[in-house]
This record gives sequence, structure tokens and C-alpha cells, in this order.
Amino acid sequence: MAERLGGGGRAINFSWNGRRHEGRDGDTVASALLADGVEVLSRSFKYHRPRAILCDAGRCPNCMVNVDGIPNVRSCVTPLREGMDVRPQNAWPSIGFDVMSLTDRFNRFLPVGFYYKTFIRPRALWPLYETVLRRAAGIGRIDEHGHPELHPRKRHMFADVAVIGGGPAGCLAALEAAAAGAQVVLIDDQPELGGHLRVRTSEVAGDQRLEGLSGREAAARLRELVAAEPRIEHLADATAAGLYEGNLIGVTQGATFVRLRAPQIVLATGQAERPMLFRDNDRPGIMLASAVLRLVWLQRVRPAPEAVVLTDDDHGWRQATELIAAGVGVTALVDTRPDAAAAGRSVPAERAALRAAGVEILAGARPERALGGRHVTGLRIHTPAGERDLRTGLVALAGRPEPVLSLLAQEGVRARWDDQLGEFVPGDPPAGITVAGHMRGAGEDPLVLAGGALAGRAAGIAARGLAADGTADRIRDHERRVAETVAGRTPPAPLPRPGGGKQFVCFCEDVTAKELKQGIEEGFDTLETLKRYSTVMMGPCQGKMCHGLSARVHAGLADSSPAVTGLTTARPPFQPISIAALAGPHLSRIRRTAMHERHDALGAKWIDMGDWKRPLHYGDVAAEVRAVHEAVGLIDVSTLGALDVSGADAGEFLDWIHPNRFSDLRVGRVRYRAMLDDAGIVIDDGAVARLAAERFFVSTTTGNLDGVDQWLRWWLAGSQRRVAVTDVTGHYAAVNLAGPRAREVMAKVTDLDVSRAAMPYLAAVEGLVAGVPAVILRIGFVGELGFEIHVPADYGAHLWDTLVQAGRPLGLAPFGVEAQRVLRLEKQHAIVGQDTDALSTPLEAGMGWVVKAEKPDFIGRDSSAAVAGRGPRQVLTGFEIVEGGVPAEGAAIVRHGTAIGRVTSSKWSPTLNRAIGLAWLTSDEAVEGRSLTIRLGVGREGQTSSAVVRTRPFYDPDGERLRS
Amino acid sequence: MSFLLSCPLCGPRDVYEFRFGGEAQARPTPGADQRSWGEYLYMRTNVSGVERAWWFHRAGCRRWFQAERDTRTNTVIRTGWAPLGGNLPSGNSSGSDG
Repeated sequence: MAERLGGGGRAINFSWNGRRHEGRDGDTVASALLADGVEVLSRSFKYHRPRAILCDAGRCPNCMVNVDGIPNVRSCVTPLREGMDVRPQNAWPSIGFDVMSLTDRFNRFLPVGFYYKTFIRPRALWPLYETVLRRAAGIGRIDEHGHPELHPRKRHMFADVAVIGGGPAGCLAALEAAAAGAQVVLIDDQPELGGHLRVRTSEVAGDQRLEGLSGREAAARLRELVAAEPRIEHLADATAAGLYEGNLIGVTQGATFVRLRAPQIVLATGQAERPMLFRDNDRPGIMLASAVLRLVWLQRVRPAPEAVVLTDDDHGWRQATELIAAGVGVTALVDTRPDAAAAGRSVPAERAALRAAGVEILAGARPERALGGRHVTGLRIHTPAGERDLRTGLVALAGRPEPVLSLLAQEGVRARWDDQLGEFVPGDPPAGITVAGHMRGAGEDPLVLAGGALAGRAAGIAARGLAADGTADRIRDHERRVAETVAGRTPPAPLPRPGGGKQFVCFCEDVTAKELKQGIEEGFDTLETLKRYSTVMMGPCQGKMCHGLSARVHAGLADSSPAVTGLTTARPPFQPISIAALAGPHLSRIRRTAMHERHDALGAKWIDMGDWKRPLHYGDVAAEVRAVHEAVGLIDVSTLGALDVSGADAGEFLDWIHPNRFSDLRVGRVRYRAMLDDAGIVIDDGAVARLAAERFFVSTTTGNLDGVDQWLRWWLAGSQRRVAVTDVTGHYAAVNLAGPRAREVMAKVTDLDVSRAAMPYLAAVEGLVAGVPAVILRIGFVGELGFEIHVPADYGAHLWDTLVQAGRPLGLAPFGVEAQRVLRLEKQHAIVGQDTDALSTPLEAGMGWVVKAEKPDFIGRDSSAAVAGRGPRQVLTGFEIVEGGVPAEGAAIVRHGTAIGRVTSSKWSPTLNRAIGLAWLTSDEAVEGRSLTIRLGVGREGQTSSAVVRTRPFYDPDGERLRS
Repeated sequence: MSFLLSCPLCGPRDVYEFRFGGEAQARPTPGADQRSWGEYLYMRTNVSGVERAWWFHRAGCRRWFQAERDTRTNTVIRTGWAPLGGNLPSGNSSGSDG
């Protein structure tokens, strides 16, 4: 029975499956449940067997639960918080009695490859199979209606040296790299540094900073040293989930995803105990020895007063000694090595201590099966003297720890099988990455500590570009000692041939040794195909628990060596990452114009356009439209892109980049611009004003500025043209003052002559407006007399205020994007990107006049000529609704059930008192007065509107008002 | 994809600061036949090997340059202002000089 030890913090309330429970500060969710009498945390994937804490380190699937609506939370590494709502998953009707656990009894119906074999025919039934299987198979369920409190963030970090792993080797590496002057980021997946030392009491040897300290004291000392080093940034509770080319490390830290790049990386990810294989090895109460130590030392919960320790290596002898020091009595130590004399040879001190403590040593024995059902009650072992049942409520598995090699493997570094050691060891890492500590397979303190320190020092020196100082010689010396030590080791006990019953290799997917055997017999005899067929290593833990074990079982069954059969490919992420953390928000900018607060004060409803916030309207679109037509309106157009294109060849360059001509544009005049790509497609439009002989002011559409800037720069790259392109968008604030009384307003705010004669349509003038320097362009896209006024951005609010004040007595009203769209549509002005797409040529979009085919060359010339040769296939044209609703953008236009076009814009025009729009039609249909049927589509299925084609602007078709 | 790219002006930067601009290739001369334009606009060599391509330092100096990169390993062989002179390492081909 688990019991809480002293030293815990204050009480914390939470609920499990709807019932109230109490834990302590310092608990994980799993340890709190265990201490409060809840052992079974989940039901296994296939057989729905009860599962409980196995690793207590977030490596296995056993403890996955739903916390506050978020599924698949690893409760053994999730700190307990007040009010948590914790629920089991993959269990029905309850975690205590699960109907699907019947599959455990009848598993001859669920052989390996069951899904592949059973659900393939009849094919027509697949949708049904799929639904049933989904229900039966899924781990965790997403609450489709809930909104879990996720606040994903992205962080970009740079360091001279990144150290992955906060154990003794990693900490010393970070300290030495920092001592060499390097900026260091130390990534560790635990809440505090120290690694395995945090759960170890035996004395540490081999580094003078830690000499004579117990493991736990040494961990505390390392924490002090790291905290006192300003060059080290420690990322706690952070998992290096991926190692990518160019030394990029993807780190998950809570809901934050960190991209860390460092020219030097020290990998010190340590080692992890391998589970052991015997029948019913998944019973609750069977856990890794390190899990017992973590529960006792880190969470202050003792899972049971006594344990049986099972091992295949001298590691188990050390762990047995540690368990006793942690207050867990060891009744027996079972060492499976056949050579009983070898058992404990390398650990004479522990051997003596265990003898003295009265621990029964059972060397040369092997486990037959676990006893008990919902909880382990004992272990049946086979000894040379016969079978024996050891009664115990806790079996501590202390299999030989194996190096954690996943990150290195992600870099493409294949692990190498060391026959002498009986383990996979890291292959040679690429330049810029060093492997240190327990990962090297030599676990003796002096080698681990010196290895970490030397790796850190070398990385610091390399990253700082310092001169060699003898570290390289010391590393060579160290490498020799590591090699010698490894050569002197003996392999762990070989695995027995899988016998009867369920011996779980993979806890995620419930794959047993027998199923692997069956898979191999069916011909899936390489590890990669066996993996895919049996799904071993394919569960949530992605092989963290079972990779080494699977490789060994496979090699054994195939009568081969892991040296030949190898490991499978490791891919990121090392730990599961929520999609939200990966997807969620990139750093993106929000641009607000200089008049933003004025719009806000007027109650603007906002719309996002590219990075920009623009007022959609100020409450009454129809009134805004009316003001523009009848008096005067004011719109903020600061968001239009503005490029200054200057230089001796600027005119000629603009001629080449556009289908029409600008070199002949007079200073003080504006001309419409449409821009094509070489396929002859319209990609942007706007205006070009010539402010001086060699200086052009080019405006772009709001969303296209970046693209146009890149486009111009690309055609200038490597060219001899003397042209400079400067983005001046942010430099200017701009408004368009439009309406029949616009001139009266202008006259009140400037001394310039704004008469029709002095400032006609398409004039470009520089002068003072509202007392500040301005560029005035006599253009507008809303069909009325218009002045586009650009002033330095700092004066934007001042300009706005001055115009509003001067215009108010004349009926001035601010208008937003929505009114502008209505006004544009009344004039049938197409919006590039709204009414045009990647197939729209100017000829077909009704702007064929911009193409000056007589020019010798320009971007899009040959393609435009080809289109002119074949004639238009589709035409952008206006329509008005005669009867029926306003169609949505994209609505289909049909004749006799066949699509003949589609709507690109459509609005209610308060001016015309009817709905109007623009649409693409096949060219034979785009005839004035032709009647059309428009399907209203989504949400209005079956409904249609009647419309007629209108090829000329609805409002002021001859543009008299615009030119007035 | 996470390699470093050396901007001729700004130095080595994360590839995410850049926009990929496609294979460097020569624009057909005015009046070229439709097939040449079709090839230029729509066809790419997509070489498995060393490729010469355009890159734009979007989050930096906003200059276009060219880079030679092994598409199999993302090893960047060299970068420089367009047009990069010289020939690509032998054994593969990409578009001609831009």
C-alpha cells in the first residue's frame, strides 16, 4: 500500500473521475493519486488491461489521463495544481470495470496484424469498420465543444553552446562552457537540475566541486553553481523534442515552443532503465526501480514498504542499495545472469551492504510470471533449484539502463552495437555536436563528470573561436579511458526466448513478444517492417520505453545480433507536442495607421487587411455612401503601399515593369498602373505619380506592398539600371477626400490653387495642406471628385482633424472600406485579387487599354500578345439583380444547369436601390442586357436570383463627376 | 529545413528569414516562341543535387541574391549577388544562369 512520507507541502484539492481527492504541493498528478489510494490510471490500448505508474518520468503511456479537458496528459510529470479536473481515458464504462478488457481473455481474436487481416473485406463495409474501430481504438478524446486554456507561444533563442540534459554531465558541461566565456542555454526536462543524482544517496566521486557529497547533495550543489553563473540560461521543464540540420533544436516548454540555434551542442541526455520481459510484466505494482526512487525522493510517496528487485546487470545491485537507503526494504534481488558468479562482481561495496541487510540474492534465476490481477502479489521465478513464488506488492525493475540516443539518431547518426557492452552506443556525431555523460555507456562517476566538463569546455572554446589550450589532449586521454572501461564491461543477461502468456514489449500498443514472434514467422522479419505490421514502437511513447527491448527481442527471435538487425529510424518529436504549440501564433505584426485612434473614437468596426487594421464602417454604410455622392467623404488610405522609385533609369524601368508607359509621364501628373507577370496575369494595380524628373511615387494595393517591393527588387537584382526602390509606406499617412464638395473643403485647408484649371484630374502637386508638407494626387476610385493627400505620418492625425473640422459644415462624413467597395462597384472598378485571380489577363478583366503592345518589351508582353491573338475566353463584367437576394462572392451563374460564370463581388447599392456586382462570364455571355440565373449557394441551396448583364458603370458612366 | 544561409550583406542567418525565389534561369528573349515561355514559366529542373537559386532576405536587408545549394543535404556551397559566375559543380545540372 502506498503511503505518504513526511516533508510534503500544503494540501492541494483536485478531482479524479469526478471525486474529490487531496494531494500535496510537490506532487505530480500521478503521485497524488497513488498516495490517495488510486493506483490504476489507465486502461491499455488493445486489451484494456489496468495500468499504473511504470517509469514516473514521462516516458511510457501508462499514466496518460485527461486533465481539464486536455487529453493524453502524462500525469507522472505534470505538477498537481489546485482544482484540477482529472479523468481517465480509454475506459468504458469506468476505469474500474472496463467492458473492453474482455478482449484480454479472448485475444486469440486479436492476433498481430488483426486490423490488416480482418477489416479489408467486404470493402463496402469499411466506413462502418472505421467508425467502430475509431471508438474502440482511440487514446484520449478531444472535447470538440470545449476550449481548453492553451496559450501557445513561440520563442526564438540563440546561444554559443546549447547543453541538452541537466544531469551531472550536462550541468558540468554548461559550467565549463560558460567559464570559457560562452553564452549557454541548458535544457532540462525536469523541474530542477541534477538528473539521477536527485534520487541517489551514494557518494559522488571524480570532480572536486562535488567530492565527498552524496548524490542528492551534489545535485543541490550543481543547482547552486548553475544559478550563480550569469552566462547560463536554464530552461526547466523543457524538452528538446527535435534536433535538426544547422544545429537547430526544437524545445517544448509548457505551451511555449522554443527554436534554439547554437553552433555547439552538448548532448547529455543520459540513460534510462530498460523494462524486463516476463509474463504479465505490466501488472500495477511492477515499476522501474528509478520510478520507485523518484516517487520517494521527488514526490515523497512510498509505493510500498518492501520490494523485490529484478535485474540483469550490476546496475540492479546499486539500485537495491539505493532503495534500502530510500526506506524501501528489499526482500530479494533476482539477477537473471546465468553466470551467478558474475553477478555483483563490479559492485563489491553494494554486494556487502545487501548481504548485511539480509537481502536474499537469487543469482542465475529468471522471472517466470507476475502473480496477481489488478495489483501484483508476487513474482514466480525459475531458479536452478526449481520454481519459487516470491510474495511482494512491489517489483522494482532494474534492467541495464540504455543510452537515450533519439536526438542523435534524428541527426542521422546511427547507433552502433557494442558487442562487449551488449548495448547500442552513439555513433560519431557531426561537427558541432558532442556526446557526453551516461550516453557514452561508461557510467562510472569520474568518467561521466570529466566527460561532461571536457565536452563543455571544448564546445565553449570552439564557439568562442578561442585558441586551443590542451583541452583536445585531455579529451583524447579521456576517450581512451572511456574505451578501456567499456571494453572491460560484461553484457547484461541475454533475453530468454519468449514463452507463453502476455509478455509486453510495447506498453503503448499492447504488443507482446509472442506477437512479434508471430509477425516474424509471417515474414515481417526486418525491424522496420515488423514495426509497421505489429505497431510495436508506434504508440504515444514512440519507442522511448520499448525501442531497445524490441530490437533485442527481434534479434533474438531472428537468431541474429542487434549489430545486424539494428534499430529503427528515429524522427522528431522526442516527446509529443500539442498541435497548438506548433501551430500557434507566429510573431506577426499589426499595423495601425496614424489616424487609428480617431477611427476608434468614431466607433469604427475594424477589418484586418494584410497586417493592417482598417475601419470597415462607422455604423451606417448607406449614409457613408450617400455622403460621398452628395457632399464629401473622408477615408483613411494610409494602408495603400507607397514606393519611392528614383534614379536616372526609373522611368525606363517602370516602362519595362508595366504594360503601359511612364517615361513620357509629365512631372506633376499621375497615371493608372496595372502590373503583369510574364504569364500576362494582372498581379497588382495602383497609381504612379511623377514628382520630379527622376522621382516616381508608386502606390500599390494594401495587401500587395511586400510582393510588389520584392518584384521590383528582383527585376533590379543583377541589372545595370540606376534605380533605387524605397518602401515609404510607413513614412506617409494618407486620406482620400471625395465628393462634389471636396474642393470646397480643400480650399479651406490649403493656400494652393485647387481649381479645376490649376489642379485637374490626374494632377500631382506638392505643397502645404493643413500647414504641413503634402503630396496631393487628383485621383479617386469612388467615382467622385477626389483628392488623395499624403503627409508625413506624424501629421496624419492633424490632417484628419483639420479636414473633419473644415468639412463638417459642408456635410463631411468619414467612410470605411465597405462604403468604398460599394462606391467602386457602382463604377465597376475591379479590385485586383478580389475580382481577379491567377488566370485574369488585362484584356479579359476589362483593362486591355493598359497594354501598349507597340512597346518593344515589358513583363508580360508576349503572353499578352498571345491572349490578344486567341481573344478573350472569359470577361469580367457588371450585373444587376432584377429579382432575388444578393448573391455571395463565388456564387455560380448557370444556364441550362451549366456554369457559365461566377460572382466575384456583389453589394447592395443604396444609390441605385438594387443589388449590383461584378462577375466572370464566358465571353459570349457578356452581352449588355443578357439575363442571368445566379445560384445563391451555401445556406440558400435551391434558391436563385435573376440578373442582367451591365457592361458599363452603373454610376456616372462617362466619369464626368470624377473629372469635375 | 532549418539550415543557415549566408546573405552577402548580412552574413549567416536562419533560412526562415529568407524567401525562396526559385531556380535561377534565363528569361526568354522578347518574341520567343510559346514553348520557351511555357518552359520558363511553368517547368522546373527540380534537381537532386546542386541547384542555383534565388533567395530574398525578407526579414533583413531585402536584397535578392543567389545561392548554390545541394538539395539533398541542404549544404550551401556559396552565395553571392546575381548573377553568380562560373559553373555548377559537375555531375548535375540546374537551370542556366539568371
